[in-house]
Amino acid sequence: MKLKICHLYPDVLNLYGDGGNIRCLTQRLRWRGMEAELVKLPIGSGESLAGADLIFIGGGQDFEQQVLLGDLHRGRDKELCAAIEDGVTVLAICGGYQMLGAYYETHDGQRCDFIGALDLYTVGAKKRMIGNYMFRCADALGGMTVVGFENHSGRTMLGSGAEPLGKVLAGFGNNGSDGTEGAHYKNVFGTYSHGPMLPKNPDFADLLLRTALERRFGRAELEPLDDALERMAHDEMCARLEREKT
Amino acid sequence: MTFRAFLAIVLCKLLRLVSRLLHRGGTAMPGRWALRVCPGLLGILAKDVKTVAITGTNGKTTSARMIEQAFADQGKSYFANRSGANLLSGITTEFVMNSTLSGRCRKEYAVIECDEAASVSVFPQLRPQVIVVTNLFRDQLDRYGEVTHTLANVRAGIQGAPGAKLCLNADCSLTASLADDLKNEAVFFGIDPGACPPGEKSELSDAPHCIRCKTEYQYDFITYGHLGAFRCPRCGYRRREPEYAVTQVVSQTAEGSGVVLCVRGESRLAEVNLPALYNVYNAVGAVAAVTEMGLGADAGIAAVEHFKCGFGRMENFALGKAGAKMMLVKNPAGCNQVLDFLCQVKEPFALVVCLNDRGADGTDVSWIYDAAFEKLKACGGRLGQIAVSGDRASDMAVRLKYAGVAPKALHLERNYEALVQWIDAQERPVFIIPTYTAMLELREAVIRRVGGAEFWE
Repeated sequence: MKLKICHLYPDVLNLYGDGGNIRCLTQRLRWRGMEAELVKLPIGSGESLAGADLIFIGGGQDFEQQVLLGDLHRGRDKELCAAIEDGVTVLAICGGYQMLGAYYETHDGQRCDFIGALDLYTVGAKKRMIGNYMFRCADALGGMTVVGFENHSGRTMLGSGAEPLGKVLAGFGNNGSDGTEGAHYKNVFGTYSHGPMLPKNPDFADLLLRTALERRFGRAELEPLDDALERMAHDEMCARLEREKT
Repeated sequence: MTFRAFLAIVLCKLLRLVSRLLHRGGTAMPGRWALRVCPGLLGILAKDVKTVAITGTNGKTTSARMIEQAFADQGKSYFANRSGANLLSGITTEFVMNSTLSGRCRKEYAVIECDEAASVSVFPQLRPQVIVVTNLFRDQLDRYGEVTHTLANVRAGIQGAPGAKLCLNADCSLTASLADDLKNEAVFFGIDPGACPPGEKSELSDAPHCIRCKTEYQYDFITYGHLGAFRCPRCGYRRREPEYAVTQVVSQTAEGSGVVLCVRGESRLAEVNLPALYNVYNAVGAVAAVTEMGLGADAGIAAVEHFKCGFGRMENFALGKAGAKMMLVKNPAGCNQVLDFLCQVKEPFALVVCLNDRGADGTDVSWIYDAAFEKLKACGGRLGQIAVSGDRASDMAVRLKYAGVAPKALHLERNYEALVQWIDAQERPVFIIPTYTAMLELREAVIRRVGGAEFWE
């Protein structure tokens, strides 16, 4: 069994060790005797998303945003929307997550149009939301607790067409006010969780793999792995955030 | 001088005295209080001091120690902020401690390393004669933000010091761009194309796009990271020919590097007294600064040949059967350079990685996934056990597991006393790579066992 994993814009959306997520996905497939084909799609790449089982989009710096938007609006946006409607599994983090929404409005009112695949938008604020945080995924997704690090000034608001990925247990999440974190639509998982997110949230990593495998092969049996180190890192951060709350 | 400034000086000196009586460093706190009393204090004290300031992401402390060595060798009357307290408060403390109660500085020169984010508040008061900018890399994004923000900070700081001559890294497209719009006189230092084996083009470049027009750079040569002979195919922005150039790296060993240094057209041999290519940059930058301060290139070269850095920068300790070497890491670019150094070690060794996430380390540990720990695979059987420690030891262990290290080769030890014992029991040489606050704590634990200098000495 083999999954095709596409890393979108690894050349500019590569902040905060987001590449670690790709390493985690491919390793967890290989440790189980499955294969992963990794395709990198930098700016200007003519290669299509066709046949992608899992698309990863990370976060980036403001400096390169115009370069990115130019490329996005040359057709990558429509292709990405089509893949999402088709049920391809997508993990989008921070800037990549915001990019799937309708638009980003800066705090002084300038609007930047995004691809509108998800019913959400983001408004810039002056104060950044920075720190370790955790959230609990929706029950339908398994209800696992995810720990990560958030660093964003954008406040994301969900419309009725997108479900929150989870509920904030500690930290800010989407906007610091409504207690939601991330978004879930079809097989798209959007989140503010850097960390990188997947290595120390093995249950969430396996959720992505299972979703992609089920779509491709109609079934997905994931052998359990020895995640003792991963769970230790995860549980320590949970405990620390609980301690800091009190 | 105003009465306010006098009060601030008295307060600062008193607080420092109390700190030392309590066996604390007292490097930043006294200055912080003094600045509350008299916000412009640094400007008053620094007025008549000839200062060389060093800023940039990596190499500040090492470069400052190299430059300082030249002042010491020449018998100059100088002081330096050796403790690593490089914010406005720490620099102010240092000036107060070297001034009389009437605010007159007792030294002719100062060698001051300055945090890149603090440069905007420090430079306008410090008014240095020479400012060295070593390089700019992505660093602690939770604290500094994007690297272009840091660049803007440094630029704004230099704008407040129009009389300063700039020594800029020609190979760093971000740093070199400071000469674009600043009116300051500037000289450049760098490593010429072909002077050393080319580094690989990193997928995770910190500056892939032109700072002027956002077109992707092309490179004729890369030393490491985004450093090298860059040029923009669209707007023509490119590396300048440096006045201070390393034209050849003749030898690279675990003790140091032999280089051919070309100073304004004249070539000389120099043996840099610290290993790894990033220290070659620090050396050529230091020679540029020393020369521009008027001490002469020979003084600069002699200094880089025999200076000792210590304080966690390739610092040796008599621990274990074969010794231990501590190499501070702070960000992906610096960490990759340390990993490259480890790959070149010929003999079997043990490794210690200490990861903290306190304010001075950066609270976001994500960067460990941007550092290529996968390189360790190239060490093969030479790399024995890896001890992992620090506040975020388990995150580090997971990172190493995903880099291909077998979990059974990992030794998790959170207690520094026990860790130092573990290091002392090793037959092989031990390389220790801690983040900043982990370095301070571990160094203390090491010194308790084998002796050494306190951090402010």
